[in-house]
Amino acid sequence: MKKVWIIVRKEWRDVFRDKMILLTSLLLPLLFIAMPVGIIYFMERAPKTSGSGLPPDVNVPSGFEHLMRRPEFAGMNPLAVVEILMVNQFLFYFLMIPLMIPMFVAVYSIVGEKQQRSLEPLLATPLSVWQLLAGKTLAGVIPAMLITWISFGIAALGLALVARPEVAAIMASPMWLLAMLILAPLLTITAVVVAVIISSRVNDIRLAEQLGGLLVLPLVGLMIPVMMGKLLVSVAMFAIGSAIVALLDIVLLYLGVKLFQRETILIRWSR
Amino acid sequence: MKKMILTKDLTRRFDGTVAVDRLNLEIAEGEIFGLLGPNGAGKTTTVRLLSCLIAPTSGEAIINGYKVGQDDMQIRRIVGILTESPGLYERLDAYTNLEFYANLYEVENAPKQVERYLNMLGLWERRKEAVARFSKGMKQKLAIARALIHEPKVLFLDEPTAALDPEASKVVRDFIEELKGEGRIIFLCTHNLDEAQRLCDRIGVLKTQLIAVDTPENLQRQMFGRRMLIRLRQLTPEMMAAVRSLNLATALEQADNQLILSLGDPETATPIIVRRLVESGGDILQVTELKHSLEEIYLNLIKEAQ
Repeated sequence: MKKVWIIVRKEWRDVFRDKMILLTSLLLPLLFIAMPVGIIYFMERAPKTSGSGLPPDVNVPSGFEHLMRRPEFAGMNPLAVVEILMVNQFLFYFLMIPLMIPMFVAVYSIVGEKQQRSLEPLLATPLSVWQLLAGKTLAGVIPAMLITWISFGIAALGLALVARPEVAAIMASPMWLLAMLILAPLLTITAVVVAVIISSRVNDIRLAEQLGGLLVLPLVGLMIPVMMGKLLVSVAMFAIGSAIVALLDIVLLYLGVKLFQRETILIRWSR
Repeated sequence: MKKMILTKDLTRRFDGTVAVDRLNLEIAEGEIFGLLGPNGAGKTTTVRLLSCLIAPTSGEAIINGYKVGQDDMQIRRIVGILTESPGLYERLDAYTNLEFYANLYEVENAPKQVERYLNMLGLWERRKEAVARFSKGMKQKLAIARALIHEPKVLFLDEPTAALDPEASKVVRDFIEELKGEGRIIFLCTHNLDEAQRLCDRIGVLKTQLIAVDTPENLQRQMFGRRMLIRLRQLTPEMMAAVRSLNLATALEQADNQLILSLGDPETATPIIVRRLVESGGDILQVTELKHSLEEIYLNLIKEAQ
């Protein structure tokens, strides 16, 4: 395990020198925190109409009425329900962090090694391939999970300060706890393994990042029906999502480990 | 002398193409061994096989008693490798580059060892500079230091002076020369024949198969025999006839006042010939053995192999 940490530390020293990765790692979470907290802050402080309890310039979008009538929202203030639906949408963005940060880190690290031709001397050391793969994986997974959890925590704190209790309580709901504690780590693994697969074929960091960026598309695809009011996020949805991602990870890990062999890296990976 | 590297019919194929064919080598402790061969001859593949980066298709290789393909981790601990390109982390500084490898090799007191090598190579003052800002020669020196950081018993140097300007090449060559006599095997793959001749105790010529292996002197003897040059004040036809009558030379040439003789046993034949020339009235100015350059030997071997 000691050697895994040697790899991790080196990766951090190397990768976070790149300002793009550093900015992405810091700005994205800040944006994702600011959006729900800011919007709820302004919604709560806007003048309310007497009937719906909603601000005058806020209407329930068509398609959302049926969601507002769901039993879990029975007896709740309409504004609180709208806020809950909006916060749920914004929280989806937090699932992009565990996809994007490890992807950028892993791509930068592996394609960077290929560009610098540093893989051969590295593979000649008494380092097992699993130690190298684990080091590269953890170098992306650890900061991604820390940033995800810290930014989610800050968003929860912000909502606790600006939102009414029933809205702020969403952050500690089983649904989002499942998403953050199970789904998010699974997504980081998906991101790293996809990065390894892409990096084995591509020699340009930007191209690899662009290809890796496509990984967020399924998540965006899921967000669209949620934003249109066609789908309500739920524990079941995240549980099914986690199971699918876990299965995907197993398949991807199998492929990734097959690709990440000493000889394959030296001979088959395009330079 | 203990044999540190032993290969027996070591073969590697890539998708049906034979890169290294039945390589048989024995390299002793402390030896500097040069592997020569044209591009695509299998030199890099040989280094990769012996440093456990790739597995042999057939045959076997033993490094310090450890078998390639079985004891790879032990072999990697005692082997250092300088790859064709330096392969350094360009964004990191020189110190961090060496420290990283020292830690991976579990070097005791890594900071001291890193400092030692940076000082030895004159890079200590620039240890905190990103490697990207180094010249090619400095990068190559740093890469050699990386290969040596764990004090390996076997050091593989794959084209250490390729792509370097003459000045940087000299710096690197001088450093390799300094490593001579430290008791480790230096396995040098090179195109530079002068470099091989200057540095290596023995030379192997590879063209997928090992065509020849010996000291440069022995290769020359095997290939061209031994030739002596005798320079006289004046070389007369009588003197030529006198030498010919001895029947000691397999070939005899005259060039101005110089006599060039191909001899099977120069140590015995030369004094007899010199005596006969003096008896014939010749004034001997110089007696010397003519040597073929390694380039001639190499080109001849490659030509024969084709």
